[in-house]
Amino acid sequence: MSFFRKKKRTVKKPQLLTPSKLVSQKENTPTSSSLTETEKQIKDILGNNEDLKIKHFKIFGQFSAACVYFSSLVDKDSLNKDILKSLMYEPDHLMGKEKPLTQLIDMILTETIYHSEAKVGDSIDQLIQLMLRGETVIFIDGIKEAIHIGTRKVEKRAIDQPQTEQVILGPREGFIESIATNIALLRYRLPTPDFQVKTMKIGRLTKSTVAICYLKGIANETVIKEVEKRLSEIDIDAILDVGYLEQFIEDNPFSPFPQTQSTERPDKTVANLIEGRVAILVDGSPFSLLVPVVFNQFYQTTEDYSSRFLMGSFVRLARILALVFSLIFPSLYVSLISFNPELLPTEFAVAVAGGRAGVPYPAVIEVLIIEVSMEILREATVRLPKQVGGALSIVGVLVIGQAAVEAGLSSPITVVVIALTTIGSFATPTYTAAFALRMLRFPIMILAGIFGLYGVMVGVIFIFNHMLSLKSFGVPYMAPVSPSDYEGMKDVVVRSPLWWMPKRPDFLHPSNQSRLSENENKMLEHSKLGNDQREGTTDGGSEGNNSTSSHNDLN
Amino acid sequence: MGDPKEITALQATTILISTIIGVGVLPLPLFAVRAGETSAPFVTLTGVFLAAIGLMILTYLGIRHPHKTIITYSQDIIGKWLGKIFSIVVIFFFLILSSLTAREFGAVVVTAVLRETPLEVTVIVMLLLAAISCRNNINVFAYIHNLYVPMILAPVLIVVAFSLKNANLLYLRPIFLGNDLWNMAGGMLTVSALFQGSFIITMIIPAMKTPKKAMKASLWGILISGGLYLLIVIATVAIFGPEEIKQIFWPTLELARTTAIPGNILQRLDIIFLAVWVLAVFTTLFSSYYFTIHSIKELFRLKDHKVLSYFILPFVFFLAMAPQNVLHMYEIIQLIGRAGLLITIIYPAFLLLIDFLRSWRRKKNVAKPS
Amino acid sequence: MWLNHRKLIIIMFSILIPLFLSGCWDSREIEKRANVLAIGVDIASEEDRKKEDEISHLSKEFPTPDEEMIKVTAQIAVPGEIPLGPQQPGGSAKPVLVVEVVGHSFQDAMLNLQQEVANELFLGHLRIIVFSEDIARSGTSRFNDFLRRNPEIRRTASLVVSKEPASKYMNITPELERIPSLYLAELVDNLTALGKFPPSFIGLFWTIYSSKGQDPYLPYLELKGKSAIQLNGLAYFHGDKMVGKTNPLEIGVFMSVRGIGRGGYGAFAEVPGKDESVLVRTVSRNTRTKVGIKNGKPHVSIKIQYESEIDEKESAAIQLSDSAILKKIEKATSKDAKRSIEKLIATTQKTKSDIFGFGEHFRAKLPQYWNRNVKTKEKWDGIYQNLTFDVKVDSHIHRVGMKSK
Repeated sequence: MSFFRKKKRTVKKPQLLTPSKLVSQKENTPTSSSLTETEKQIKDILGNNEDLKIKHFKIFGQFSAACVYFSSLVDKDSLNKDILKSLMYEPDHLMGKEKPLTQLIDMILTETIYHSEAKVGDSIDQLIQLMLRGETVIFIDGIKEAIHIGTRKVEKRAIDQPQTEQVILGPREGFIESIATNIALLRYRLPTPDFQVKTMKIGRLTKSTVAICYLKGIANETVIKEVEKRLSEIDIDAILDVGYLEQFIEDNPFSPFPQTQSTERPDKTVANLIEGRVAILVDGSPFSLLVPVVFNQFYQTTEDYSSRFLMGSFVRLARILALVFSLIFPSLYVSLISFNPELLPTEFAVAVAGGRAGVPYPAVIEVLIIEVSMEILREATVRLPKQVGGALSIVGVLVIGQAAVEAGLSSPITVVVIALTTIGSFATPTYTAAFALRMLRFPIMILAGIFGLYGVMVGVIFIFNHMLSLKSFGVPYMAPVSPSDYEGMKDVVVRSPLWWMPKRPDFLHPSNQSRLSENENKMLEHSKLGNDQREGTTDGGSEGNNSTSSHNDLN
Repeated sequence: MGDPKEITALQATTILISTIIGVGVLPLPLFAVRAGETSAPFVTLTGVFLAAIGLMILTYLGIRHPHKTIITYSQDIIGKWLGKIFSIVVIFFFLILSSLTAREFGAVVVTAVLRETPLEVTVIVMLLLAAISCRNNINVFAYIHNLYVPMILAPVLIVVAFSLKNANLLYLRPIFLGNDLWNMAGGMLTVSALFQGSFIITMIIPAMKTPKKAMKASLWGILISGGLYLLIVIATVAIFGPEEIKQIFWPTLELARTTAIPGNILQRLDIIFLAVWVLAVFTTLFSSYYFTIHSIKELFRLKDHKVLSYFILPFVFFLAMAPQNVLHMYEIIQLIGRAGLLITIIYPAFLLLIDFLRSWRRKKNVAKPS
Repeated sequence: MWLNHRKLIIIMFSILIPLFLSGCWDSREIEKRANVLAIGVDIASEEDRKKEDEISHLSKEFPTPDEEMIKVTAQIAVPGEIPLGPQQPGGSAKPVLVVEVVGHSFQDAMLNLQQEVANELFLGHLRIIVFSEDIARSGTSRFNDFLRRNPEIRRTASLVVSKEPASKYMNITPELERIPSLYLAELVDNLTALGKFPPSFIGLFWTIYSSKGQDPYLPYLELKGKSAIQLNGLAYFHGDKMVGKTNPLEIGVFMSVRGIGRGGYGAFAEVPGKDESVLVRTVSRNTRTKVGIKNGKPHVSIKIQYESEIDEKESAAIQLSDSAILKKIEKATSKDAKRSIEKLIATTQKTKSDIFGFGEHFRAKLPQYWNRNVKTKEKWDGIYQNLTFDVKVDSHIHRVGMKSK
C-alpha cells in the first residue's frame, strides 16, 4: 500500500549547530593539556547555562586546576568536603614527597581524594556527557586526562506506598523514580550473586538508563537474549517511562491485551524474577516491566501468596468472577432483555418488562448510553483533584443514576447491571488488563444487540481465539490453561498451598525448575499429618538449615 | 513447516474431542433411533466402534510417516499423480463438510433462536469466525481446541445429569432389537459419519512432539467423544422414548428444553445449551476449515496458508447455501456422510494395505542380496 | 504485519457495516412483547363463531379446516402494571389483559389474537394451558402440532383439563398472587412436589402420547367458588382423547401403580373390630411391575409396598398403643388399596386407556411377544382391554406421630 506513504522530501533544511552536534563533532577528541583551552572548549558548548560552574583552585597549593560541574546536579556537600578539601590541603602522608606532574593523577586517585567513584577520562565529549549526568570533572593544567567524580545528587521522593497496587497484607514499599533506589529495593530482597542487572542507555536525548534484571540460572536464556535484542533495536529520542519501552518490545501492538506487566511493587517484581521472568527498569519511572507474561497473572496479586491459601483462592475466585462480569454482564443483560426473555423466571420477566415500560430506547442503546456516561464519569474522577473527586463520584453514581431512571432514560435494572459491571472492572488488580476488558465490552455489547446470546458467544470466542494466538516473548498468552501445564494449573483458578507447588511454572521454560527442595518437602508432608501422629518422632521441625541467629541482618 | 513441533498427546486428544463433537450432537439421537428404535444406544456404540477402527488406521498410517500428512505421504505410497488426485478428493470432501457444518448450524440457529435473522448472516458470521481464526499456526490451533474442550463437555454433562430425573428406563429396553438389521447397519454408518472430523489427526501427527503417542491420543479422543455421544443417546432415549424422538428434529436440544435446573435460576436450559453448542460447532468448523486450507497448502506446496483462509470463504459459503431447506439439508448430510466414510475409512485402509505391501517387498528386496 | 492487519480491519468493517445497517432482526424488547402467560381453549359456542374474522383464510375461496372451531382465551401480562420490587398497595388497574378469540385451529386463533394485540405475541413465558373438558374429549392432537413446532413454547409448561369452560380460569382473581395465571401455574406445579399428582407437564404428555404402550393423563381441575381451584381428579385419555376422570383419591391409587415414589394421599382405614377409622397417609411407595404370558395371554402382576403414617384417629375409642393394632390397620389398608387398584384398572380397561403404561413393560421386557402380537398402538389397546392382572399390596405403618396412644 505504497500510496499511503508520502514521498520523501529531498530538500534539506540548513542545519542548526546545536550543542549536541558540537559534542558529537568532538567525539574522541582528547582534552587539551592546557587548562584555558579546555575551559574554552567547554564554554563553547555549555557556556549558556547558568548552572554550569567552573571553579579554579590549586591542588596541594601548587597545581592549578579547575573543577567543572552543574550546580543543579551535584551534591555540593560532598564536593566541598570530600573533593575540594582533600585536594586543597596537602595531606600529611604526602608532605614533602616529590610530586611529578605525570604521577599526579595517580596520586590523587589513590592517596588523596575521599571519594569512591573517581575515575580518569580523556575525551571531551565523554566528559561533557558525564557532567550532564551530574559528575564533577577536574581538569589540571598540564595534564591531558581529567578526573571525573560521581557526585550526582538529584532530589527524589521517599519510598512510598504504591498507589496503583495497594494490598492489605504485604509489604508497603513501592518503586520510586530513581533507578538506583529501585535496584537497591530489588537487591535487598535478593542477596544472591545470581541476581544480575544489565544496563543500557536508550533514547537519543534522554539517554535513559534501562536496567534488565533477572536471576541467572532461573530465567530462560533465550528470553533474556530476546529482551536484550528488542531493547537494543529501539531508536527513539526519549524514553520517559517504561510504557515507552513496552510499546516497542511487545509482540502484538494491535492487541487490546497487555503483553507485559508493569508493577510498582518491588516484592511483586522479585516474585516474578524468582519465577523466571525478566524485569526491565527505566530511570525516571516508578514501574518495572515484567516479561514474559501470561494472562492469568493479571488477576493475581502478591497478596494471594502472602495470605493463607484458602483465603487467597477464595479472593482469586471472586476476582475471576468480577473479570467475567466486567466483560460480558451488560451484553448478557441485553440479550436476555431483547432476545431471550424466556430465560428469566416469569415473575421477574414480567417485573423487568414493567421497569422498562417507559424507556424509549432498545436495551442496547440504553446500555451503551449508560456505559459511555460511566466511562466519562470514571475518567473525570481520575483527573479531578482528590478533594472534589470523592464528592463527584457519589453525585455521579447516585444522582445521575436516579435521575436517569426517573427521567425514563433507563430502567432501574440497567443501572444495577452497569454499576455491577463497573465495580467488577475495578476488582481486576492490573489496570492495563482491566482496561482491555473494559474496552472489549463494547463490541460484545453491539454483537449482543444484533445476535443476542449467539452474538455474545461469537464475541467471546473471538476474544479467546485472539488471546490464544498471542505470545509474549515466546510464551503462549493463555498458558498454563492452554497449552495446559499441570504445575502451572495449580496456580490459575485457585492458589494452591505453597508446599503443593514444588516446581516453577513450566510454561516460562525456566532453566531451574525446583522451588522447594525435596528434603524440605518431605518434612512438610510429615508435619501435615497432625500432632497426634507426630509424637513418636523427635526430630520433627528443626532440621532445616535456615540459621536463625548470628547474622546481623536486621539493620 | 516453520512451526515448532509442540503439540502434546493431551492437546491431540482435545483436538480430536472437540473436532468430533459438533453439530452432530443435536440430531444424533434421531439418527440412532430411526435406525434402531430402542437399540439406538447399541447402534451408536457400533458406530463409534467403526469410527474408532477408521481412526486407528489413520493414526497408524500417520505414525508410520511421522513427518508427513496424508496429502504428502499418499503421494509416496500410491504414486505422485494418484496421490494428488485422491488428495484433491479429500480436500473437496472437507470443503463440503465445512460448508455443511456451517449450514446445519445456521439452520438450527434460525429455527430455534434467531427466527427472523437471515440464515446467510448466521452462516457467514460463523464462517468468518473460523476463517479469521485459521490464520494462526498449528500450535495456536491446538491451544484453541485445548481451551474449549472442558467448556464443551461440561454443559452436555450437566444437561444429561439433571435430565435423568425424568428418565424412564423402560424406554431403553430391549437393548438389542433385531428388527431391521439393514436399517441398523445404515444407522451405524450415519453415526460413524459424525466422527469424520477425526481425520484431522493426519494433520496433527506431523506437528506432534512425539508422534508415537498419537495412538494413545486417538484412543482417548474417540473414547471420550464416543462416550459422550453414547451418553446423549441413552439420556434422550430414556427420557423421550423412541417414538417421541422420531418426531423431533433435534432431540438433544429438546432434552435441554425439558431439563430444569433445581432452584429455577434459569427457566430454560436450551438457550444456554445452544450458546455453548456454538462453541462446539465452532471447533468442528474450525478443524475442517483448517484441514482444508492446510491440505491445499501442502498439495500445492505453498508457503503460507493465511491468504487461503479468506480465499476459500466464498466457496464454502455458496456450498453452504446450496441445500433448499432443513429436510433437504439432512438428506444431503446423510448422503455425504456415508459417502465420506469411503474417504475417511476405506481410503486410508487402502493406503495402509499398499504401504504394508511395499515395505514388505522392500524388506524382501533387502533380504535377497544379503 | 501492517499489511495483514489493515486488510483484516478493512474486511471486518466491510462485513460489520451492512450488519449495522440492516439492524437487529430478532431484537424485540421485553416490554414490547405481549407475554402470553396462560391460554385456555374451549369449543366455540354459536355466538362466538360469529365473531370470527377472515384473517387466515377468506371464507369461501380457501379451504377452511373442517374441525370444530375453538375459542382461545389468552392472559397477557401488561408491561408497567406489574410493579418491580415489593408490591405497592393499591394499583387499581388489572395487571393482565384477557383476550378472547376464535379460530379453526390453534395457530389460526393465535393469528386472530395477534390482530387484536398491539405488541408481538410471545409464548416463551406461557406457563399453563387449560383445555376444557369438551375440548379434551374431542381430541388434543390438533393443538399439539402447533405447540411442538413453536420453539418458544416451554416443554415444561403445564397442561390441565378443566371441568368448567377454560375461559373462566383466565378470569379468576386469586387473592394470593397479583398475576392470576402465575397462581394457577404454581398451583399445578406444586401438585407434584406435594405428592398430589404424578409429574405432568406438556412435554411428558407428548412423550406418553407418542409411545405405543401407554396413554396420557392430565390433572383435572374444578373451580370452587370464585377463585379457589381444586384438583378434582385425573383425566385419562385414550390416544389424544379424554375418556374419563377419576376421583381425587384414585390419583393416589394411580400413582402407586405407576410407581411414583412420593406419597401424598391419605385415606381412612377402618380399624378392624371397631366402627371407627384412622387416617392413614402414604409417605412413600415402592412398586414392582412384572409382565408375563400366562396361559398364552398377557398378564401383569403388580406388587406394591406402602410406607404409611397415621395422621389422625377419629375417636378416643381406638387405642393405638400396641403394634398389634397397627398390624391390623396395615392389613385393612392393604385390602382397601388392593380393591381400589383393581377397580381403577378395570375402569380404564373399559375405555382402553392404558395410563399405567403396562404396554411399555411388555414392549421392553417381552420384545418377541410384542413384535409378534402387538407392534401397533391400536392392537395394544385391544389387548389391554382383556389384560389379566393380579395385585399384591403390602403396607407398613412405621410412624404414628408424637402421640403415644
